[in-house]
Amino acid sequence: MTWETIMTHKEHMATAVKLAKYALDKGETPVACIFVDKITNQIVAYGMNDTNNSLNGIAHAEFMAIEQIKLRFSNDHKGFAEFCSNCIVYVTVEPCIMCASALKQLRIHKIYYGCGNDRFGGNGTVLSINNNMSTLGYDGSIFQQKSIPGLYRREAIMLLRYFYVKENKRSPNPRAKLDRNLDTKNFPNINWSQYMDRKLFGQEFGLNNLRNYDSMTDLEDYKSIDWDLIDSHYDSIVRDIKKEIKQFKQKENKKLKI
Amino acid sequence: MVKKIHNPLKIDYKNCIIEDKLLQVKNFENNDIPDLIPVWTLQINPRDSKKIIELIRSLQDKDPISLQHLKRIQKTKDNKFLCVVIFSKEYMEDKDQVITLLQKNDIKYNSISDNVLVPRFAPMIKELVHQWGKKYWPLTWNGNPNDQILNDYVINMDSIKNMLQKIANLSEREYTNGNKFPIVTAFVDPINNNVKIVTTDKRSCKDGFALDHSIMLAIKKVSTLQKMFKENKDPINMTSYLCLNYDVYTTHEPCSMCAMALVHSRVKRCIFIKPMSMTGALRSDSGDGYSLHDTKVLNSKYEVFQWLGDEYANIPELDPNVCC
Repeated sequence: MTWETIMTHKEHMATAVKLAKYALDKGETPVACIFVDKITNQIVAYGMNDTNNSLNGIAHAEFMAIEQIKLRFSNDHKGFAEFCSNCIVYVTVEPCIMCASALKQLRIHKIYYGCGNDRFGGNGTVLSINNNMSTLGYDGSIFQQKSIPGLYRREAIMLLRYFYVKENKRSPNPRAKLDRNLDTKNFPNINWSQYMDRKLFGQEFGLNNLRNYDSMTDLEDYKSIDWDLIDSHYDSIVRDIKKEIKQFKQKENKKLKI
Repeated sequence: MVKKIHNPLKIDYKNCIIEDKLLQVKNFENNDIPDLIPVWTLQINPRDSKKIIELIRSLQDKDPISLQHLKRIQKTKDNKFLCVVIFSKEYMEDKDQVITLLQKNDIKYNSISDNVLVPRFAPMIKELVHQWGKKYWPLTWNGNPNDQILNDYVINMDSIKNMLQKIANLSEREYTNGNKFPIVTAFVDPINNNVKIVTTDKRSCKDGFALDHSIMLAIKKVSTLQKMFKENKDPINMTSYLCLNYDVYTTHEPCSMCAMALVHSRVKRCIFIKPMSMTGALRSDSGDGYSLHDTKVLNSKYEVFQWLGDEYANIPELDPNVCC
């Protein structure tokens, strides 16, 4: 993989992280994603966790983005399916088992995520839905889906830590977590082999980084935290993303006319 | 809690079947590896044991973790002292708090520790009692703990049959009307049994899409209704936290997406009729054998039953590759 494409992935994940911070500032769980068209490299949909606001336990970021794509295609099943299979998903936290299953059934092209999801992760941490045999594509097809962790991993973890010092007032048994200290220094190792084999790691991050694979450490690029990225406020992020999506749609419409 | 012999339901404890019709669906893997939890233990002089036993008796109902399967007291290796499990660390985490409690009850002890790990539940088979007891802490055998679980299920056969008949009939009707995915689900609110949400799979409908599985649609519908009730401040009594303790009835064994959505939604029970050998995520021999409702690492658990009777043969067969 070229340096340029590595930078593109980094940029897209940074957008997802900003969106997650925006969600946190609004009182939601700081998990967010963007869907990018793999051909034009443009954002086509975005999503933030909406479980608290919607009273819906399954309103995860990925589903909010899928809803947006669905609206564009209303009755066009074939168009929708093809569109999804050309999407790359950038999500700050590993998709849970449910979302991983949804992304697999939609035959999403590829997934990049920040940190693992220790409790519910469906792309390697708890289960590997992306590589299993029982979750098939919407068309009944069996396939393997690449899902790559590690981009802005520490930033994604920090956002979750910011959130967990607050408590969930809606839960029937809210647990006060205010007395917990915010840990900004210690981060667990990442056991890359749980998520991908050495070969795929080399393809994704370059052979010169394989030592990170073996030592279970973060990539050099992500070893020190970009505090600016997670401590800034992004009041206009949604507007900016919507603008980009609009541009993409306009281009697509032009193409159709030609 | 009724005693086994007083239970009006016919239960086949060996095969885990209730009233010849409801098969308890469980994850049978890893049953020989215990779930370990930390407990507080004291080393005491044998003559001081009386007060401690009194304390244990007075607290055991308050402990969130039942330790009935443990022998509370064992001798130390040199036979001079006793080692006693007082309660779980989940009941009281802070050491100072534990010490204060012991002082208040005038308990004398040589040392206190939270280093001991004990099995969370008794093993399923008697042979393991000795093995675990040697390795972790001495245990008692009160029979297969699953017998008690089976015995404690609250089952109303008439209302279950009634709901299954409803979804089976609707499934047949959907199929006749051209739905290629005649999968039907009903959600029943535990507080207000009149709130019954019935959904059909919409992925082959004109305005439906690939992920419009009946369970996903039902969960969405519950949250929409809750939001409406909340905004209109309607006095109707409805569970207001996700689908907490809902009963779910569905024609086909759910896929990994839907089975996990039920975990997130905190339902109490799911009863399905047709197993999906390729794509199902509940039976331990379906698909990849996930048994998502009964997995230790996931924080929620729900009861799952498969209907074994042939009463609902009118439900159409599906392509085994379909995720339900």
